[in-house]
Amino acid sequence: MADVEKLQGELSELLLVEDPDAGLAWAEETLKGDIGVTDFFNLVFTPAMAAVGDKFGRMEIFLPELMDAADRAKRISEEVLQPMMAASDSDQELIRGKIVMASVKGDLHDIGKNMVVLMLRVNGFEVFDMGVDVAPRDILDKAKEVEADIVGLSSLMTTSMPYMKECVELRNGFGLKGNFSVIVGGAPITAEYTAEIGADSFGKNAVEAVERCLALLDRPAIE
Amino acid sequence: MGHRARIVEVLHRAETGPIMEEEDFERNLVSPTVKKLIKKYDIKFDDSIIVSSDDDLADRVFQAGLDLAVEAGMYCQSTSRRIVWTREEFVEALRFCPSEVVMGAGVDAVTAKARVPEDDTRVVVAGGAYGVPVPEHMYIPMSLSYLKEPSIDVIDNPSLESVYGHPVKAASPWEVLAARREAELALQAANIAGRPGMCLGCVELSATALGGLAGVSWGGYRPTDWLHAPIMSELKTNYDMLSIVTHSVRTGTILEAYYNPIYGGYVGGAEGVAVAIVGGLILLNQVHPGHTYNTRPNHPFFNCDTTPELIWAISLGVQALTRNTNLLVDTLVGPAGGPGTKTMLYENAAFVASTTVSGQSLMTSCHSASGGSIPRHASGLDSKICAEVTHAVSGMTRAEVNEIVKQIIPLYVDDLDKKPIGKPFEEVYDIDNVEPIPEWQGMYDEVRDELIGLGLPMDRIRIPS
Repeated sequence: MADVEKLQGELSELLLVEDPDAGLAWAEETLKGDIGVTDFFNLVFTPAMAAVGDKFGRMEIFLPELMDAADRAKRISEEVLQPMMAASDSDQELIRGKIVMASVKGDLHDIGKNMVVLMLRVNGFEVFDMGVDVAPRDILDKAKEVEADIVGLSSLMTTSMPYMKECVELRNGFGLKGNFSVIVGGAPITAEYTAEIGADSFGKNAVEAVERCLALLDRPAIE
Repeated sequence: MGHRARIVEVLHRAETGPIMEEEDFERNLVSPTVKKLIKKYDIKFDDSIIVSSDDDLADRVFQAGLDLAVEAGMYCQSTSRRIVWTREEFVEALRFCPSEVVMGAGVDAVTAKARVPEDDTRVVVAGGAYGVPVPEHMYIPMSLSYLKEPSIDVIDNPSLESVYGHPVKAASPWEVLAARREAELALQAANIAGRPGMCLGCVELSATALGGLAGVSWGGYRPTDWLHAPIMSELKTNYDMLSIVTHSVRTGTILEAYYNPIYGGYVGGAEGVAVAIVGGLILLNQVHPGHTYNTRPNHPFFNCDTTPELIWAISLGVQALTRNTNLLVDTLVGPAGGPGTKTMLYENAAFVASTTVSGQSLMTSCHSASGGSIPRHASGLDSKICAEVTHAVSGMTRAEVNEIVKQIIPLYVDDLDKKPIGKPFEEVYDIDNVEPIPEWQGMYDEVRDELIGLGLPMDRIRIPS
């Protein structure tokens, strides 16, 4: 059996080097060895991406490097892993859940939200990023359209927070409470506010947002 | 072209500049340009120095920032276009920027003047619960806790948590109503304090143009007060903010334009933040032509600007600008700590000492408690410490302040990730008398004595005229 810890370390390094194709070539070569695609996905690929996310959480790398790593991981998934899994009839899920993300109406801040989006992506979520200043009704429609598991709402301004409440009210009012959870975040958001508006969870930063989303889907954290 | 007459050209270029997707602007233009310029100008963060005395480094940071302004321009989200200018246009606009501004009216007026590093010219002290959400019934007592401090020259106001019992909702009539109510309460507080002409920050956190403009309409804030118009991180404006700028130009209202780069974001680490501050403030002078230019970078996980890396970057960015331009530079301290904590007092002291000796013209304080995000977590003493330190370091050298700040940082740095938000206003002040409770005052006095022991001459402050 391949040394998966060594492979994890190699991949997480390759996702951050200058050559954007290095990880792709390495994955193709590694999968010619004695590790199957399902084990590679679960034991190497997913933990390697989580390790990159952890580096960002410690500010050892910055947003541009995290974005590059997420793009490279996506290419490995689409160009190497998905075709191999399709060929092997594997029923392995390549995504851990679908999340619709938006900064709510009135709030044009996007960097914090973008950090959360990337951390979710490198941790295996499919994220539909609706951008900033998004009206509650549009968020609800998108969640229905993509059959989201979770809707993530960001607000850095107290004056935008009422739109978070409106999103939850719309979800409940249209009888969609069982369809998706709502997680909220942003500097002024607290556990008390989350409970007050009836949201299901909140994360105080990008690292915690990933943990809370995994918990909402009852998935274990990646070791 | 006159400084503020440029607004027509700004609006024209916002509609005729090169078209680009917003994501491309940040990721494929701003980010690689900053990275390239850091390398080109050999800008390196040295963690053994917090307040740099290296003039050549400061000048290289200035050139890098100017290059960034020329190469990236500012992005207009409303038109999906870059607002671009030539190097010559930037240089010309900097030559004719206001180097002095009178803020406020009558005997309460103060004058902010361009400074250079290690200058002993008076720094204007702005204090207040800048944008901290506050319930209506607490607005006046909280404001008075700052207004009654004689060392505070200008007020930056808190924001209303609700208006007549209703949530304040951005881009709605509630935003208008809250802005009008805020102006009423802020003016009332200044009158109660006997400082009716004092310059007051106007609806600082107005989410759209609605709040900003409603606040300065007839019967609200006055032209001698201080309108605020930010750009978004990184280097992005929009029609809402340009509307506030245009209104300020045409009504002759004093304008503060500000830009808060994100540490670890598209501009990268400490070096990138320093370059972005310079590029951002040069762009603000061009596109949001105002009077004072503020920066308040943010750490994305600690929600503050007081980490050692950020203090280095901010003080260096300020030096770069004040050595090479006459811009009226202002910084805002955003501590992780809040009222009732020593953490916040140390953070504020380290930040303000560093930025003042670097040449800022105004010192704004503060975004208490997790960068101003926690309702009711702000108090007058939060700004008083900043005012005292500002005046204490007047005329000191950067090297002297560097040695002191290096001793202060270890006193708080390990607490930054613990969200030390402290206590709400009503638990650290006696609201009826607007006085700090003995415990909070005692903590303040202890820290002041400690800082004096570390070499900050707060026991013999002299306020320059």
